[in-house]
Parts: sequence; structure tokens; C-alpha cells
Amino acid sequence: MLSTLYAVLFYVATVILIVGTGMKVARYARTPAPLKIPVSPAPRTKRGVWFRMFREVAFFQSLFKSNKWIWIFAVLFHFGMLLVLLRHLRYFTQPVWWWVDLIQPIGVYASFAMLAGLGGLLLRRIVVPRIRYISNPSDYLMLALFLGIVISGMGMKFLMPVDILAVKQFFLGLMRFQINELPAQPGVLIHLGLVAILMIIFPISKLLHAPGVFFAPSRTQVDNAREFRHLSAWASQLPPLPEGIPEPEEGK
Amino acid sequence: MMRLVATLLVLIGLSAGAGMAETIYPDIPKAVGAPHPEGNAYMRINHMRLMRHDRDLTMREGDRSIKYSIKECVACHAVMGPDALPISVKEEGHFCRACHEYAAVKIDCFQCHNSKPEEGFVDLLKQMPPATDDEIQAYLDGMSQ
Repeated sequence: MLSTLYAVLFYVATVILIVGTGMKVARYARTPAPLKIPVSPAPRTKRGVWFRMFREVAFFQSLFKSNKWIWIFAVLFHFGMLLVLLRHLRYFTQPVWWWVDLIQPIGVYASFAMLAGLGGLLLRRIVVPRIRYISNPSDYLMLALFLGIVISGMGMKFLMPVDILAVKQFFLGLMRFQINELPAQPGVLIHLGLVAILMIIFPISKLLHAPGVFFAPSRTQVDNAREFRHLSAWASQLPPLPEGIPEPEEGK
Repeated sequence: MMRLVATLLVLIGLSAGAGMAETIYPDIPKAVGAPHPEGNAYMRINHMRLMRHDRDLTMREGDRSIKYSIKECVACHAVMGPDALPISVKEEGHFCRACHEYAAVKIDCFQCHNSKPEEGFVDLLKQMPPATDDEIQAYLDGMSQ
């Protein structure tokens, strides 16, 4: 009964996560960017933009430039989470990929980094008056949700071990559309329940900054307004200019 | 949303047959000797804590009358190779490897300890008290779970 409930929950959550985020990304992709607004100093070539986006995603460059201590917590949290997520691939692959096997111990340490990062970001919302003033309930909710997931996960690792063989059997089963027994231990149920909630609210949450960064015109545009006239798609369909005004040269 | 769920259900129905034959649980070798009174499910989760706990008792406090020792683990859970001798953890099919590979959990024990029962392990097995009917029943119940 419980296994079926969680199986349905995860199927629904996965569909919502993929379809919902896909719809949001499609909307981002369609949203017009009528103006040339790259934040300077901006690269003047397409290749430069790729490089800038890489620095933004891999090193959080703009955050580093604006605030060092928030950057530290953000890096701890995001890269801790990356390693923890990669470590969890062991539950979804059989046989386990060799590099997933290799990073298992690193993923354990990464959970502490994730916890420290989340703690710092939560303290920031509470302690810094400006940030506290602009913090919405959803800001706290996201941090609380992640904290719940991390703490319940670390609890299963360090305090109350669970039958991870059965957990893996459950998820391998879900991937083959069969429902196996999920061990009804509190750690498992809390952890998985919170993860499912996270997956469900992801497409309507601030966590959309993950795909959103790739659609930010201030980062993705090439700084070539002098070389080429920037003309958005809808503007190029406007009626022709009145007589006497020269047509602008086609560009880009 | 309802359309999505309906589509999903159809998908589940269509692919129910696919991939069913695949094994998605490790093939755990059977052991000899008395079954664990705690039950297999308990041992599966807690074996490492029990061993660590008793290691601390022995090593740090000098208490040698401990309940769990790695020597006995590898004795009862020995898997015989083609030459009818116990195989080491380096070989496929070793008891510990079945689950540890499945869960990608590294085994540190055998960097120092022997993964094969030592000389005369058969005598060790003989020293073990014979299983009571209750223990056997508990073992069988554990197996059928």
C-alpha cells in the first residue's frame, strides 16, 4: 500500500518535473528580448558568450563579483548538491557506473558542504536586515525543504541506517514499471516524500533559476551593437518605414 | 494534468511486460551455521555497526567475550570456489560482494582482515551451538521475506 502510494507519487512528480520545467523553458525560449542589454564588460563574440556562460555556471562569476561570502555558501551548497546527486546515481544504475562507484566517499563529505551552505544561506535571510526585509515565505520554504532533505539523508547515513538494497530495488523497479516493496522506515519515507515535493514544486518555484540562467539576455547576448543592428523577430515584421527614412542595414 | 496522468497509465500498461525478466536484486549466497537470531533484515542494515561496536569493546576495552567478529562472518558466509575451497573477496561471487557491489559500498575490512576463513574453519563451525527449532524458523521466515 505504502509502496504503491510512493510509486504513484514518484511517477506523478517525475511527469510534473519534466513537463512543467519543459513548458517553462519553452516559454523562456519564446520570450522576446527586444533590446541589446548584455551586462558589461561583455564578450563581443559568440564564442566569448559561451565562455562567459561557462564561467557563470561553473564558478558563479557574477555572484563572486558582487558578494564574496554569499558566493562561498552558494558554492558549498550547489557543488555539494551536485556531488550528492551524482552519488545517488547508484540507486538508478545496475551495474553501478565505475565513476559513480569512485565518488561514493566524496559524496558523503559533500553532504556536509551542502548542509553548511544551506545553513549559511538561511542565516543570511534571518540575520542580514536588508535580506530579511525582502525575504518571502517561499524563500524560507525552499531552504527548509532542502534542509529537510539533507538532514533526513544524512540521518540515514550516520544515525539510522536503512535497507538501501530494498530502496534500490524499489527505484530500479519504478524504472521498469514494476512496484517493489519500499522499506517503511521513517528516514526513507521522510526523505523520499520531501524529494517528491521538491520535484513537484520545482517548475513553479524560484529554483527555475537553474534553467533560467541560460535565457538571461543580460548574460547570453553578444556585445556587438556597434557591428550589427539588433532587430528582434517581431520588430522585423513591422510595416515598412515611411518614405524619406532610409532602411536600416540588415544585420546579424 | 489529467491527460498527462492518463497517458502515463497507458505507458505503464504498455511497458509492463518489458524488462520484467531482468534481475534487479543481488543474488545473495546462502550461509551455513546457525541463523542470526536478530534476523537477516536486521543484520543487512546493522552488520557494520555491530562489528564496529564489538571491535571497540575488544580493542579499546580488552573485552574478548564479544558477540560479533569478522572471523565468524567469513566462516559461515564462505562461498566455495570450483576447487571446493573458500574464495576470497577478490573473486566474483564472494558473499560480501553480492550486496556491496549492488549498493556501491566499498568494503574496507579486507585490506587488513582475511576474507577467507582461516585453517580449520570447519572446526569453528562445529563449535557453534546447533540451531534450535525457533532459530531455524526465524531464519526461514527471514529468507521468505
